[in-house]
Amino acid sequence: MADDKDVLRDVWFGRIPTCFTLYQDEITEREAEPFYLLLPRVSYLTLVTDKVKKHFLKVMKAEDVEEMWFDFEGTSLKWHYPIGLLFDLHASNTALPWSITVHFKNFPERDLLHCPSNSVIEAHFMSSIKEADALKHKSQVINDMQKKDHKQLWMGLQNDKFDQFWAMNRKLMEYPTEEGGFRYIPFRIYLTMSDRPFIQKLFRPISTDGYTHTLGDLLKEVYPVAISNDDESKHYQVVIHGIEPLLETPLQWLSEHLSHPDNFLHISVIPTPSD
Amino acid sequence: MSDNAESPTETQKDEPPTPQQPTEDSGTADEKKKIDVLLKAVGDTPIMKTKKWSVEKGRTVQSLSQFISRFLKMEANEQLFIYVNQSFSPSPDQEVGVLFECFGSDGKLVLHYCKSQAWG
Repeated sequence: MADDKDVLRDVWFGRIPTCFTLYQDEITEREAEPFYLLLPRVSYLTLVTDKVKKHFLKVMKAEDVEEMWFDFEGTSLKWHYPIGLLFDLHASNTALPWSITVHFKNFPERDLLHCPSNSVIEAHFMSSIKEADALKHKSQVINDMQKKDHKQLWMGLQNDKFDQFWAMNRKLMEYPTEEGGFRYIPFRIYLTMSDRPFIQKLFRPISTDGYTHTLGDLLKEVYPVAISNDDESKHYQVVIHGIEPLLETPLQWLSEHLSHPDNFLHISVIPTPSD
Repeated sequence: MSDNAESPTETQKDEPPTPQQPTEDSGTADEKKKIDVLLKAVGDTPIMKTKKWSVEKGRTVQSLSQFISRFLKMEANEQLFIYVNQSFSPSPDQEVGVLFECFGSDGKLVLHYCKSQAWG
């Protein structure tokens, strides 16, 4: 369907206007101006912020510069989470541009993984895709691909090439017709008020008696709090790529169209803002 | 709190994995806060004398990896790769409980470990 392909493009080309400001305690030779950038929702912070680093290094001495890391209002931002997820989870109800603070010292070892090079990002990305395919196809599709096909998925993401990426990724979105969908849906539900990082469980898109599961069915099963309503008010927003999909949306459709390039549905459950 | 200045991201109490009891008699999986892990060596990586361990659900892959490295008396500069389903390497901050739920079989999570990259 032409409409569905448009959804794939809209998801891929989603951007978040961001303002990067240097942390006030960093040592600079002269004043650091903020740096503005449109961040791709589907990419990773450390993959798309070379310009940010270059900008701030212009006013700093080399000895004052260690691994770059970011925080938003005191929360260290995990580079290995997709950018769009970080925004939806921490900043979706704040004013644009997204104000991120840049650090070059005191790396928070307890909160963040190190990211010494792009190959670390690539390894993480490919592992996520493999984990997703283990759930969807018992790894059969990803294992049948050649190494160069895997590389194409990564290069497509790295170079923001929608067609290059989807030429390969479409294979990961196929399923035997008789099945009606994937074996299990790769999803992660992130909660703002929780000690555990996310919820991830086995969940089938089609039940054994042929019933098509919806987003609402998933939430009811693994996190019913998200859709419980007292009187008239809705307590939580269920957000994917910055929008609230209808709870009636089939989960299989969501998995095929609203997954991130890593083939996971990253779902944020955030408190509804009180106006 | 980290009890070792060098070990990163240790947010829970550093209770070591315990060897699995030989006689199986446990309540339902939900009641247990621990899951059973079976560690398998890949290639010429040293084999652990004890392969079966009871690990807290909230323990991270990185924490387990450090445990294995220490157990095998590996050098500080040696890397250890952990694999699930002989297909993917979970993120270091991934909780073993989640891996068990999604990829466990026959009541245990099988993890392969290797000093070099085995499955890319």
